[in-house]
Formats: sequence, C-alpha cells, structure tokens
Amino acid sequence: MAGNVIEINNLTKRYGKHRGVEGVSFTVKEGDIFGFLGPNGAGKSTTIRSMLGFLGYEGEIKILGSDARSGHEKLMKNIGYMPSEAMFYPSMKVSEVIKLAADVRGTDCADEAGKLCERLKVDTSRSINELSLGNRKKVSIVCAMQHKPALFVFDEPTSGLDPLMQNTFFELIEEYVKQGTTCLLSTHVLSEVKNYCKNVAIMKEGKLISCGSVDELTHTNSKRVIVTADGKKSDYLYKGDMNSLIADLSGKNITQLDITDPSIEEIFMGYYEA
Amino acid sequence: MITLFKHEFKQNLKSLLIWSISVGTLGLMCVLLYQSMTEDMQALSDSFSNMGAFSDAFGMSTLGIGTLKGYFATEVGAVHGIGSGMFAAIMATSLLSKEEDGHTGEFLYSLPVSITKVVAVKIAACITGLILFSVITGIFYISGVAYLGENFETDLFLKYMISVLLMNIEIACICVAFSAFVKKNMIGAGLGIALLFYFSDLICRISPDLKDYIVYGPYSLANATEIFVGNEIAASAYIISAVLIIAAVVTAFVKYTRKDLAS
Repeated sequence: MAGNVIEINNLTKRYGKHRGVEGVSFTVKEGDIFGFLGPNGAGKSTTIRSMLGFLGYEGEIKILGSDARSGHEKLMKNIGYMPSEAMFYPSMKVSEVIKLAADVRGTDCADEAGKLCERLKVDTSRSINELSLGNRKKVSIVCAMQHKPALFVFDEPTSGLDPLMQNTFFELIEEYVKQGTTCLLSTHVLSEVKNYCKNVAIMKEGKLISCGSVDELTHTNSKRVIVTADGKKSDYLYKGDMNSLIADLSGKNITQLDITDPSIEEIFMGYYEA
Repeated sequence: MITLFKHEFKQNLKSLLIWSISVGTLGLMCVLLYQSMTEDMQALSDSFSNMGAFSDAFGMSTLGIGTLKGYFATEVGAVHGIGSGMFAAIMATSLLSKEEDGHTGEFLYSLPVSITKVVAVKIAACITGLILFSVITGIFYISGVAYLGENFETDLFLKYMISVLLMNIEIACICVAFSAFVKKNMIGAGLGIALLFYFSDLICRISPDLKDYIVYGPYSLANATEIFVGNEIAASAYIISAVLIIAAVVTAFVKYTRKDLAS
C-alpha cells in the first residue's frame, strides 16, 4: 500500500487579524494526482506556501516524511514547485534560469531539460523580460520537472497556457506519475480535477470542506430537472425525495421533462455555494 | 552556495560597474583638476583654513588644500565618501527585499537552499561588490595621481581606501537589516540612511558640543583629512562599528528567516 507523501495536520495560518487557513488536515498518497480545489481566496496558495516553508504556521506538515519547516533544504531537492505567478529574474536568459535551478540542486539536468523544452516548445535563447505569462509558465514547468522530483506541487499551473500546451503539460504529469512521482495540483478549473485527479480536497473560506476520491465526491442524489409545466420553463438542481418531485409535478400540464445527473461543475459549485 | 553567490553577484554587477565608474570618474576629474587649480590654491588654502568650525569639519584647518595630499583628502575624500556610502546603501537596502519586490522569492526559495544560506550568500556578494568598488575607484584615483607625476603617500591612500571600505560595510550591514523588514525595494530610504550618516558626521564635526558623538557614525571610520594627516581613528569608533555590524547582521538573519515570504 502506498505511503503518504503529504501529511497536513490541523494547519492554521493567520495574517494578523485576517484569515489564512484554519484547521486544515489532509493526506496525499504516493503516486496520486491530487486535486486541490477552491475558488480564489479559499486558502489553497496559503496551504501550499506553508508546505514549502515560505510561511510560518501552526499545526504539523510532513512531506516525504520530513517536517516541512526544519527539513526545507532537504525537501526541496525532491520537490518540483511551480508557483502561480512564475516570475524570474528579468535580466536573465531562459537557459540561464533553467541552468541556475539545476546547478543549485547540484544535478546535471541538461538532458531532461532539453527534452522538456522540446515538448513544451521553450525557446531557451530568449530573455525572461521578453516572455509572456504563458511562456514564463513553460519555463517554470521545466524548472519544476527537470530534476525528476518525487513530488510536484503546482499552483494554478495552466493559467496562461494555450489548450495544446495544457494537454502537453498533463501528458507530462501522467508520464512522471507513472514513474513514481506524486502530484498536488492546485486549481480552480473543475475539468482538470475531473480529467486528471484521483483524489481531491476542496477548500472554501480558509477551511477544508471536503476531501476524498473524485468518484466519491461527485456521487450525489441531486438531479438536474428541466421542466416545462403550464407553459413555464424551469431549470433547477433538485435534492430530495423523487416521489415528492413527481407529486409536485403531477397536477401540472407538463409538455417537457428532463431529469439528468448534474455535471461535475455543478456538483463542485454545490460545494462552493454550500 | 558558489552557484548562488555567482548568481547574486551577477545581479549586482551592472549597478556596481555604473556606480564605481561614475564615482571613479568624478574622483579622477577632481584629481586632474589639481594642477590647473594650483596657482589659485595657496590663496584658497589660506581662506579655507580660517573658516573656524567649517574648516575643522572638512579638515582644512589641519591639512591645507594647497598640497596634493590635502586637495585629495578634501575633494576626492568628499566625492568618494558620499558616492561609496550611497552605493553601499542602495545595494544593501534592496539585497533581501528585491526577491519579494520582483516576485522572484518563490523561485529562489523553491530551490534546495535554506533561507539562512541565501542571506549569508547575499551579504557575501554585497561585501565582494564593495571590495570591487574600492578597487575600481582606487584604480581611477591612483591613475590620476600617476598622471600628475607628483609625490603621493600611497600608504595613507591605501589606509584611506580600506577605512572607507570598512565604513561601507557598516552602512551596508545596517541597510541589509532594514531590507529584512520591508517587502518592497526602498532605495530612497537607503540613500536617506547614507546621507543621514554623512551629514550627522559633518554636524558632529562642526559643533564642538557634538564632537564626542562622532564615533557613533560609520563616517567616523573614514575621515579623509584625519587619515591623510596621519591621525589615528579612535579605537572606540572601531568597537562601536563592530558592534553595529554584528547587531545588524544578526537582526537581518533573525528577522528574514522568520518572516512570511510575500508572494
């Protein structure tokens, strides 16, 4: 049975009087692509930044068996992190940034970096200050993946990437995961979780509101009801006893009735709005 | 560590070259103007040495500007003192904060290196920059003196340049500590700190009541006229300077390693 790569226990972080995250606990198993879902400001980045030792926090975070705070230097050898902003030193060239990231790790990543640059179509001769957000993201992907870490931590990785590059990016993740890498994917794009993740944690207003397998969390008794009754069309998510629904509709002149399973987007939106 | 040191040094290199060449050129121009001003120098020297407290403040009462040594200490001493102090302050004020200001901190600290090591490497690169600044500007000044072909006491010149380097290291360490507290580059504040030190030294030298306080400022280590006259810098100035450097570096380490990194 796979061990836990990430163990977060009762993580709390406040920024003065402002809420960061409160009492967050979850685990990520080895070899998982774990979705970390939530709207903007839910506390996803705060959780990730605490995991990587960028923030002080209360609670316990263990990554790859080591304490996130005291083991920062050792841990980062085995983590590939892609921040949401993907900012680099503007005066440097892409090749210099990629080489710097490899050299600080004391690893020759030239072959892997070359392959990644080819797949992602990264022009290494360009200067960082000439790059768009999407191109900076691609450089960030190369920096995060070139040393073949045991854990990827991606914070909203696909914003700014074109759809083709998004596909390539997820292909790469799946290839590395097959080789044993674990991936924490923070996103607010529901389809990414649906298409690529086995497990998911959902954050809202600094708290973890749900955590489990994508299949479990998307299993619901809710139904989308589209009905035209007495000449009036209604479209709503129905949660409750089906007999009551039928009873409600029975006295009406029904000209159209569709009862379907809700989409994954609707289910997750239900978590956000709860 | 070496990789990061090289990276940090490269980040500062452009600024180092601009400042050292600018200050060096200004100093060189001052030196080269010496001979053209020689004829008027004696009269000027007499007037300047009789201006009471102001003559004392600028050292003109003890070292006449009619000689190359006195002229160098007064003119180049002022240019180099202010210029190098400003460079040290500007470089050090943004040393730590630039990672947050430029949003590069997440990239840097996602590499397998502790924040303590990053701070150490940055301070080492900063001090290396200051040493190179002294070497480059020193080459400019000594080239000017060599061109004039006049006798010049190079041992006092070396002592002066090393003293200014020590002063700059003290200013830089104080500014690094300041940098640990802020999340934005505050170059204006750095310039303010350097100028505050310079003018407080000047005021302490002008006012007889404040003379005892001179030793508390970094500029007490590198008063050009005192060094070129051959006076020894007070031992208390070195002790206070060492205490301030250690306190500033410890503050920078403690604060920066405990602060939340801005995204």
